Amino acid sequence: MTKKVHEDQRYLIALLNNEVALVNEIYKKCAGKVKSFVLFNNGNADDAADIFQEALVDIYNQAKYKNLQLTCPFEPFLLLVCKRKWLNELKKRSISPVTKNEDDLLHIGEDTFEQAEALELQKEQASLFLKAFEQLGERCKEIISWSMKGEAQEKVAETLGVTYGYLRKKKSECMASLVKLIDRKND
Amino acid sequence: MTEDKILWTAQYVEGDLNEEERLAFENLLSYDEELKQHLADYYDIHSSLQMELASDSNRNTLVETIKTLNKEHFVAEQPRVVKFNPYLRWVSGVAAVLVLGMLIWEPWRSNLYEEFNAVPQMSVAERGAEKTDLDHAAGLFNEQKYAEAKVVLAKLHATDAQNAMISYYYGVALMETSEVAKGRLLLEELFNGASVYKYDAAYAVAMSYLKEDQKTDCKFWLEKIPKDASHYEQAQNLLKKL
Repeated sequence: MTKKVHEDQRYLIALLNNEVALVNEIYKKCAGKVKSFVLFNNGNADDAADIFQEALVDIYNQAKYKNLQLTCPFEPFLLLVCKRKWLNELKKRSISPVTKNEDDLLHIGEDTFEQAEALELQKEQASLFLKAFEQLGERCKEIISWSMKGEAQEKVAETLGVTYGYLRKKKSECMASLVKLIDRKND
Repeated sequence: MTEDKILWTAQYVEGDLNEEERLAFENLLSYDEELKQHLADYYDIHSSLQMELASDSNRNTLVETIKTLNKEHFVAEQPRVVKFNPYLRWVSGVAAVLVLGMLIWEPWRSNLYEEFNAVPQMSVAERGAEKTDLDHAAGLFNEQKYAEAKVVLAKLHATDAQNAMISYYYGVALMETSEVAKGRLLLEELFNGASVYKYDAAYAVAMSYLKEDQKTDCKFWLEKIPKDASHYEQAQNLLKKL
């Protein structure tokens, strides 16, 4: 069962295409709220700006690489992502937050919670995958990171001084070792 | 076999199979659930890694946009400047002198304890409609009925000694009801742990020494509170006054 994509998907597209006017609209709607939440909870304006930036880049990443489809309105989604990020940051700094975090979120739909949670999970997962990648041999790391850069694979082969056929063979071997490494960790 | 399927999946996605092998893979894919899962996992891992490793010029431009907008929307609050008319200037001058005088005289000095002992409010996230012992304790604590709160908290503490929140409020309640030594012991233990109540505990212990006018011990505990803890400023202010 696929849920209907929310019309606010346009904000994700704005992030993908760097549409400044629409990104500015996001700021107008949400920046003030994130700022007051952070200020009220032991943070300053710079903290709020960092959190906001991180959240927007995360959303961009998931939209571009993980095909994130928004099924809830954008504003509560972004606010929730920011709140969770700031509460995690507070936990790292061993400060207990002032507000009970669910207090003012009661009117938020279940979809929004699910999507915010999925975003966080996927991010954690990606950093685990990256850690496994770091454990591969030098040659594999080189081949994978070059072929992930986003250039045409023929060009990557040329840069690495190998044939396109060899690159495909080597990349599938390296990726298979990576998948096995990740599998073993999950067991 | 599983490991071969993983390699096979990678070869399929990366275009490293010949026509015949590719058709065989796709044929197996139509009914082999395990292979389907491998393929989904492969795409998942591949795209996540791409997210981390891609040199994404669009992303870089977006970050530039964000940084510019951050400067507009996240400025620190500037203190407002109030213009004085001549009459107010006089009045404020007199007031300033009075304030200075008060600062030197410091009639409140003897009561540092009352000034700095901000008794915490116990907040319990209420989940169900049932009132639990914890809600009961919180209610009593917040009404400053420490003796009664203490009884309930003692019970809760006995069943869940690892719960930092209960330990903290139980410790404070003990100290407020002249079981100071016992309370301190509990809070010192909490301080030695790594809970979110770590520095709240340190501050509370400092308060208990302040109450007894034991300034050295009070200072000792205040100095343990680091810059990023919520009681830092209070602790620093008090240290100056001691």
